[in-house]
Amino acid sequence: MLVKFFATYRHIAQCKSCDVPAPRDVLALMGELSQRWPAFQNLLLNDDGNDKGDDVIVMVNGRHIEHLDGMATPLTEDDYVAITPVVAGG
Amino acid sequence: MTRGNGWIGTILRINLTEGTIVKEPLNMQDAKDYVGARGLGTKYYCNEVDPKVDPLAPENKLIFMTGPLTGTAACSSGRYEVVSKSPLTGIIGAANSGGHFGPELKYAGYDGIIFEGKAAKPVYLHIDDDLVELLPADELWGKGVHEVTDALVEKHGKVRVSCIGTPGERGMLFAGVMNDKNRAAGRGGMGAVMGSKNLKAVVVRGTGSVFVAHPKEFMEEAIKARDMLRAHPVTGSGLAGFGTEILVNIVNEVGGLPLRNARDGAFWDKADDTSGERLVETHLIKNQGYFGCTIACGRVTKVEGKGDFDCFGEGPEYEAGWSYGAACGVNDISAIVKANCICNEQGMDPITLGSTVACAMELFEMGAIPESDIGFPLRFGDAAAMVKLTQMCADGEGFGNIIGLGSYRLAEKYGHPELSMSTKKQEMPAYDGRAIQGIGLEYATSNRGGCHVRGYMISPEVLGIPMKLDPQVAEGKGAVLKLFQDLTALCDSTGICLFTTFGIGLPEIAGQYREAVGSDETDEEILLKGERIWNLEKRFNIEAGVEKDTLPPRLLREALPSGPAKGKVSQLQTMLAEYYAERNWTAEGIPTQEKLDELSITY
Repeated sequence: MLVKFFATYRHIAQCKSCDVPAPRDVLALMGELSQRWPAFQNLLLNDDGNDKGDDVIVMVNGRHIEHLDGMATPLTEDDYVAITPVVAGG
Repeated sequence: MTRGNGWIGTILRINLTEGTIVKEPLNMQDAKDYVGARGLGTKYYCNEVDPKVDPLAPENKLIFMTGPLTGTAACSSGRYEVVSKSPLTGIIGAANSGGHFGPELKYAGYDGIIFEGKAAKPVYLHIDDDLVELLPADELWGKGVHEVTDALVEKHGKVRVSCIGTPGERGMLFAGVMNDKNRAAGRGGMGAVMGSKNLKAVVVRGTGSVFVAHPKEFMEEAIKARDMLRAHPVTGSGLAGFGTEILVNIVNEVGGLPLRNARDGAFWDKADDTSGERLVETHLIKNQGYFGCTIACGRVTKVEGKGDFDCFGEGPEYEAGWSYGAACGVNDISAIVKANCICNEQGMDPITLGSTVACAMELFEMGAIPESDIGFPLRFGDAAAMVKLTQMCADGEGFGNIIGLGSYRLAEKYGHPELSMSTKKQEMPAYDGRAIQGIGLEYATSNRGGCHVRGYMISPEVLGIPMKLDPQVAEGKGAVLKLFQDLTALCDSTGICLFTTFGIGLPEIAGQYREAVGSDETDEEILLKGERIWNLEKRFNIEAGVEKDTLPPRLLREALPSGPAKGKVSQLQTMLAEYYAERNWTAEGIPTQEKLDELSITY
């Protein structure tokens, strides 16, 4: 499945996107990305490692996970995920 | 014993017909009720001008107004407002700008300036503390913003300049007022009103200070707000690092980036080419902040080695990056930076201009505009044609003059007014109201026509600030939008930047306001002033003959063809009913007498 990175997360991943085998849910994906890029560790997950970090936005197929099943949102190979730090503009 | 209340206490009244200059006391009751800047400027305007006035006639007035926090130690307090009736929309046109001009005006000893009448020949207003004089501007007329600013700084020394470019001189309907070269009171054609008065520039130098009522308590509030802004990921580092254009990928990700005049939906596989990340990689020189700003979201950019696109300036912001990018189907970021530079150099609103070019592209592709009218083919994605047409608009050349009418008049001229992506004749910015329902309601109800900063529903609907709302759901948006509209009206009127609200909220804005003016009002009583301002604007618009609150038919009837919001249209009627009820207006969207009385609105 496709994972897209925006803003400073591109600096950490050193790429705009990557392909990964689909884990069972978003929580598992955050864990795998944190293992692959240790700099993500304190950003994508909270201190207990059981929820997302305060300043991260995660979207699955263009939908914020808050409007899906949160960190338990299931993932398949056909899904795409976008991860970005909280930013704003206008 | 206190020395002040955030105000200087003096307004300049300049009658350009008579050439008279009068210094008069600030109306403190109105300042208390309408806060300052946008609110107070609008109150002065409503008190003095017939809502039916021709915006470009001498009978119209043009008001520059600061707020009680402008020029203080409050964060991002460099703001002032330019207020008049808009020639683009025919309703109230209040445009907000940062930079250094607003604080300098207060340091010179004036809270605001009211311009009346029309000068017989081009003039500019020169203010040097107590010295206030009208000087000939014949040698400045016909010159662009940067050239005029440089000339006036060379002549008068360390001054701040607010001025118009040549489109403003010609009465181009979306000409802006520019200060400090690249800061813009950009929307609604305030520059055209200024030009109609033969007023080229306002030059100011001030050596005084602004005093607040409770200095110690005020500084505590200001430092608390500053620390919150620095600690917040958006205002502390995000906006400085990537600027506002960082939103391109995120808004596209939710399927809300209007593509090719919104004809082709709102999801673009080339969005990343025009993103904030891409701008940093290609053309960013450094970020930029102005008076008292800890956020520093401005972009200093340069294009080199790209032929006709070479330029140096500031921007683009997210909205301009969209209007010249996705709206025109152009993914050449050098062309986008260039088109935005032209807008800054000549004082034109890039949201309206880019969106009008996009509208012309659709009309051309469907055969409604013949190539002979334009002089060259104008297809979506043609970066060179887009930049050329922008320059023609700046220069008042050929078809550029038709573009200068805005998309509503352009589309109407060629028989398809429904293809103007505007509300109340002002172009909607860079979010699609089908994918993001609340922003559609915001566009429909905005008191100055299509606008994203009369509420900024993107914050809760996309970014989750301060709470996360589902962008695809209509229910509940009316109540949140009312709150956001009132809060942004309050924020604009204090003299601080709206972007501070990403990191601070009502308690911090009200706290700074309270200690500056010496008020003991509660947060809720201060927020009520925002509601009063909103209702005053609405009442003026009704008397001016405003059209009803609606959206272009495309957003109401044409379902999005792709992306996460595929199949969606705006559920405007559902949201409007809830919104009007929240405002205690009639079902037709008219403020009730009960509401006006409750808010003590009289004029």
